[in-house]
Amino acid sequence: MSNDQRQAWFARVMESGLENDIFAPSDVLTHATPDVLASHLPAELLSRVLSASLAAGSMTPERVLETVTPELLAKHLPHEVLWQCIAAAAARAGVSKSVGP
Amino acid sequence: MHRRGGGARRCQQVGGPVNLKAFFVTTLSSALDLGIAIPEDVLRHVTPDVLAANLPRPLWARLLTACLGAPRVDAQLVVETIGVPNLCEHIPAQIIWGCIQELAVRSLSGVVMAAAEPLVQRAPVAASAPISRPIPLATPPPPPAAEPKVAATPPMGVMGPSIPAPGAAPVEQPDLDPVGRPRVPPGQRFRQSSSGIGRLAGNTASARRPQAQAAPPAPPPVVEPERDRSGTIPRVKRGQTDGDFDLETFVGGKDDWKNALAVEDEQLVDWSAADETVTTGEELGRKR
Repeated sequence: MSNDQRQAWFARVMESGLENDIFAPSDVLTHATPDVLASHLPAELLSRVLSASLAAGSMTPERVLETVTPELLAKHLPHEVLWQCIAAAAARAGVSKSVGP
Repeated sequence: MHRRGGGARRCQQVGGPVNLKAFFVTTLSSALDLGIAIPEDVLRHVTPDVLAANLPRPLWARLLTACLGAPRVDAQLVVETIGVPNLCEHIPAQIIWGCIQELAVRSLSGVVMAAAEPLVQRAPVAASAPISRPIPLATPPPPPAAEPKVAATPPMGVMGPSIPAPGAAPVEQPDLDPVGRPRVPPGQRFRQSSSGIGRLAGNTASARRPQAQAAPPAPPPVVEPERDRSGTIPRVKRGQTDGDFDLETFVGGKDDWKNALAVEDEQLVDWSAADETVTTGEELGRKR
């Protein structure tokens, strides 16, 4: 499989997980820590995140994910990080006892 | 977290949120669509025993009907017939999750699926099969000469007038109508503009209605009225006929009308003999 297909799939999984409340934006940022975001997001995207937070007056996980959409998460962050988020949500849901592969 | 009434009981069995199945459907469907997974990956977890234990009888009936009518039964047929939403609805979530987890492990490890190639090649093979295998025909195909030739430009000489090609030289032969008679050029279909310069041409005189020949009017004398310094036309003194600036002189220039309006001497009034008229200065002074 190509990287584009895997990226598209992880983007769709992250989007579906957020839409279906499998995990919350705070769960995403539990794995996609500020260090991870700062290390992998491009400068332009980091600037947009900060600008949106300054305009709103606060920086919340929801606001971060409004700027860093699932497509951008899958594009820039390591997919292992995203999978940790998905697997942890599945473990919380009780469908899996293990956290990750 | 919201819980939906329809699926709450099933989800409570595993303690998960109600939208877990929708998440599974999206995840598995997109994996199949994107080539992350193939139907064999699904059936590796959703085995026939699992289907037999969890799939409802109506879905089993549908699956059996599809399998009986299909020329080939494979994992793709099973998954497409049941459908991913039905699989995620009836198959235990742990099994679906196991399938998704395997896909994620394989995706993260970068393992290239060898079984994915037949899926890609299946469609072209299926599409080319009828072409490579000759199909017996009831009647032999018609010979090539029997095929109707489609001319680029059908001949138009029979049905309509011969129109020369745009670049062709004009042919010096009378045009024929469909019957064969020489075509008479139609007359002028549109009225000529009255303001056109062609109206003054000699040939147009016959086209106009006959009119009484009028004598050409004499050109008006070019009399430039003398203007005084103020630019106004000078007043005409009575009795000054030669220099009389009269409008009638511009129209006709003849004295016919003057003869018709001639006044006899008896008709003239002697204004100096009239009583009411004061003509002399002495009488004027006396009356005062």
